[in-house]
This record gives sequence, C-alpha cells and structure tokens, in this order.
Amino acid sequence: MKKRWMSVMMTAAMILSAAAFSTVAQADDEPLKVALCLSGAANDQGWNQTAYEGCAAACEKYGLELSYSENLEAADIASAFADYASSDYDVIIGHGYEFGDPALEVAEQYPDVIFICTEADAAADNVASYVMACEQTGYVEGVIAAMMTESGKVGGIGPIQGDSLVKIINAFEDGAKSVDPDIEVKTAWTNSFVDTQLAQEAARAMIDDGVDVIKHCANACGNGAMAAAVEAGIWCEGDSYDQSSLAPDNILDSALYNLDVVLDIALGKVVDGSFEGEVVNLGMDSGAVEVLMSDNLPDDVKEAAQELIDQIISGEVEVVRDYTIRS
Amino acid sequence: MMQQILTLSFMTAFLSAAVRLAMPLMYGGLGEIYAEKSGILNIGMEGVMLCGAFFSFAGAWYSGSLAVGLVCGIAGGIAVALIHGLLSIYLAKDQSVSGLALNMLTLGLTSFLFKLMSAGQGYQQIQTLPSVALPGLSALPLIGEAFFNKDILTYLLYVLLILTHIFYKKTNLGLSFAAIGENPEAAASAGVPVHRFQWIAMLLNGILGGIAGAYLVLVQLGVFTEDMVSGRGYIALATVIFGRYTPFGMFGAALVFGAANALQIRLQTIGVSISPYLLGLLPYLITIFAMLGAVGKNAKPESLSKPYIKGSR
Repeated sequence: MKKRWMSVMMTAAMILSAAAFSTVAQADDEPLKVALCLSGAANDQGWNQTAYEGCAAACEKYGLELSYSENLEAADIASAFADYASSDYDVIIGHGYEFGDPALEVAEQYPDVIFICTEADAAADNVASYVMACEQTGYVEGVIAAMMTESGKVGGIGPIQGDSLVKIINAFEDGAKSVDPDIEVKTAWTNSFVDTQLAQEAARAMIDDGVDVIKHCANACGNGAMAAAVEAGIWCEGDSYDQSSLAPDNILDSALYNLDVVLDIALGKVVDGSFEGEVVNLGMDSGAVEVLMSDNLPDDVKEAAQELIDQIISGEVEVVRDYTIRS
Repeated sequence: MMQQILTLSFMTAFLSAAVRLAMPLMYGGLGEIYAEKSGILNIGMEGVMLCGAFFSFAGAWYSGSLAVGLVCGIAGGIAVALIHGLLSIYLAKDQSVSGLALNMLTLGLTSFLFKLMSAGQGYQQIQTLPSVALPGLSALPLIGEAFFNKDILTYLLYVLLILTHIFYKKTNLGLSFAAIGENPEAAASAGVPVHRFQWIAMLLNGILGGIAGAYLVLVQLGVFTEDMVSGRGYIALATVIFGRYTPFGMFGAALVFGAANALQIRLQTIGVSISPYLLGLLPYLITIFAMLGAVGKNAKPESLSKPYIKGSR
C-alpha cells in the first residue's frame, strides 16, 4: 500500500511539472478584444515574453483588452484560433511563422475577425503578417565584420536553415562582400536551437581556419559561439538581445529585434482603421530592427556603419532579402 | 578540399574537437555501464546530465568556485539517478517509462530554475577549467594534442575507464555486480545483496552522469542554456550498446560519434557543398552502420530492465 501511494504521488508530481496549456481571459465587452497566441511560455525571457510585453503595452496604449494562450503546439493552433474567433474576439495574433497557415485556414470562416501573424508570409482579406527585416541588421553586421577583420575571413553561424535565419546569414555575406569582394565568408549550421557545444565547435573550427570575426544568429546555442570567440580573443557579433555582457571585450555589436515596435504598429493599424490584409516588412526605418554598436568599435567603423544605417533608413541602400540556401 | 583536410594541423584540430565532443558521451556512457551491468536501464541519462549541467552552473555561479560547481553538478546527477532507482528498484516500475518521464521532468525543472536564477539579470557566465598539458605525452604527434593537452576531468575519465575495466574483469566484487544484471535470482542465492548493489550502481550512474553534464558547463562553455545536453544522453546509451557494455568499447564508440560530429561541422566551415541537414546526419549514420557491423554475440545483460523482486520467480 505504501509503495502504491508513493508511485501515485510521484506520477502526480511529474504530471504537474509538465508545461500546462493555459488560457487567461478577462470579462468586459466594451473595448476591442485582442487574443495573443504563443508557442512557448509568456515569461520565457525571450521570443514569447517580448511579444507578450509588447502586446500588453500596445493594448494599454490603445485601450484594448488582452487575453493570451501559451505553449501552443503546432497541432493546437487552428483550434485555439477558432476558439477565440467564435468567442467574439476582434483581433487574434499568432506569434511566429508557424501561425501563418492556420490563420489563413481559420480566417476564411470568420471574415469579421482580424488575424495578425508575426514573421509569417500569410495574407488574405482579414489576415496580415508583419515581418522584421532582419536582413538589414545582418547586412550592416557583415559590413562591420568586413571592416574589422584582419585575416580577410569572417564566419556566420546559424541554427536551422529556416527562411528567417537564412536571410540573415545571406545578408551578412552580402554586406561583408560589399566592403571587400574577395573576403571569405564561412558558414555553419548546427541543425539545432539548443546544441550549445556544437555551436562552440563550429566557431572553433572557423577560428582554426583563420576567421577573426564571428556573427551568430543561433538563439541560445549561439552563446557557445560567443564563448569560443572570447576564448580565442577574436571579435563576435550578437543577436536578438544586447549580448555585450557575454563578451565584453570581444563584442562588436548586437542585432536587436524590437517586437514591441512591431506589435504597436500592427495594433495601431487596426485601431485607426488602416488595417489591410498584407505582408508588411518592418525595417530600420520603423525601429523594428536595429544594430546596437559597442564601444569596442573604432570611431571610423562606427561612423561608416551609422552612415550605412542612415542610408538604409532613407531607402538609399536597399538590402536584398534572399531566402535561397547558399553553400 | 581534400588538400585542406589532409593536413596535419587540420587533423590535429579535428581530433581534439572529436575528444571534446565525445567527453560528455564517455562520462554518460560509463555511468550507464554501471547501471545496465546491474540490470537497470536508465533512459533518464539525458536528465541526469541536464541536472548535472544546470546544478554545476548554479553552484559555480553562486560560490565562484569550479570545485563547488562540480560537487553541485554531481549532486544534481545523483538526485535524478536515485529517483530512477526509487522507481525501478524499490517500486519495481517500468524502467523505460520512468527514464523518459525523468527526462521531461528535468527539462522543465532546469529551464524553470534557470529562469528564476537569471530573471532580471544579464547573461551569467563562469570561468572554465583550464587545460593542463601532460609533459611528454602531449608532445606526441597528432594524438598528443587531442588526448593529453586537456583538462583534469578528461584525465580523470581515462583513470576511471581503466579502473572500471579492472573492476569488472579482475575483482570478485565486479563479478557480483555484473551477475545481478545477468541473473539476479542466482546472484541472490549466492549471497549477493542485489538491491543494495543496484542502489550503489545508480549512485555511480548519477555521479558520472552529473560529471558528464558538468563537463559541458565547467570545461567547455561556462554558460548554461536550456536543454543544452540536446540528446547526448541518448547517444551515450547507444555508445554503451555499440561498445558491447565494456568501458573501452564504449570509449571507442563515443570517440567515433564525437569524430563524426566534429567532422560534419568542420566540413561545413570549409564550404563543402552538402546540405547541413545531411552532414548533421553523419554522426547518426556512422553510429548505425557501426552497430550493424557489431552484430554477433549479444553482450546485453540478460536481466536488463527487468525489475528484481525479492523471493519472486
């Protein structure tokens, strides 16, 4: 008997610890009702938390009412969308590429509901997608890398060859080659968002080969690439957040993706009635993406990079968005 | 391209990377050998290693000492292994289910604790263990750099491999430990305390699995990231089977896997025009082919993953 109780309790503990699918809703039907759907936890200190906080801030600003769902698996997205749409929500936001197709599917049946997806390519009468032009930051980082390298070899490390990551690495290469057409740009993919040791080994392989500037866009596992750069005393460029504390003496810059700006723009369009079913690219001109330069950069490089940024903002320089996998 | 690969400097650097990538597998594999030889399959090795990684990081971060970090990592590994022991030895539950449940539990637990730990803070990182070149041996061409210019934990593994080999091949106690994995009833009737030995095996499993995770943090990266073991625990299980449940066999198997992984990432940086997806398969393909080549006598302990209940038959 004692043993059975113990096993029941252990099982219960394990079930409780598993991530739970939760929905938080508030009751009030005056303002527009917004639902945010997330693929992970709203407090994940990353991709989903920035979206949740950005969305909450925008709703506060425009006087909207926000509900959200966390930890949605790909198979649950369509039903979560349909749940919200049938419960009189006015705007449904899916955060991430994987929300695009389910949004198109569900939107057909609910023509009065507005669907907004981030980083997707879905567009219909009542579906809009907002994509961050990360290729612009990648390009500027490529230019910075090319100006800082002494060996003429730079490296880019990515996680999985998805469109939104391939375009960063491609633009990084284009940027570097715009400074010096003969520069060698080495690339490696870890095939994983979490294999930190493999990202470190990718960076070490590049360093053994003479690379002296490494850019990563490999999420958490990119920390391994930064660690290798610090160990070898070469330059590195961060991604997503200000990563200077990981490599204070080695970091050149970090590419920042400001989801709060994206969601503010998206919801603003709904509120002022200018919403259109389109795919919107938000670049440096809107503040959705930016390059945060560190003090390790010499003044002349900083100035050149800033000039380029100004040109991208003014439209004088147009960065090519290239999803093709180069090798 | 071949010219780039066939240089001494490439081969030296490549072998060194292979050893670094193999080291967590070797510690995990060694821990798994102790468990499986005693009849307990710990599929939860991934979770043991992940707890080892997280708690070694937390310990080193808060104390500022790598030694404390290592002890905490070992303690984390032991905790997971002993829960598995509780379920599979004391409660005689299905070992595969328990192991898988522990992997999911530890993934959630370490991610949650790491978020608590890093909430509102910038990136946290610690210094890593330095390499110490062994005089003489490290000057050997090709293998010197790879095997003998490493950190203390790597050298400790070499010693543990030899001790484990001697333990199972030359000592009566080792024979008893192996006997309970083959036929616990017979071992019990010969006076071997089956459950007590299984608990000791799980303790070793936790210690070694904890070091496997701690190695990633304390020796290689200096940071913890979510799910950073990323499948190495499962590969460690494969190295044990492929290495036929012997320490040196497992060592070779882990080295093959590490080398394949080191090779695929290096081929990418050289610019070999093969998809990274295909190159990423290389370690697994080589492992499968090697296992095909290892057909023949099955070295698996007869009573592996069968709970032993005293007095039952």
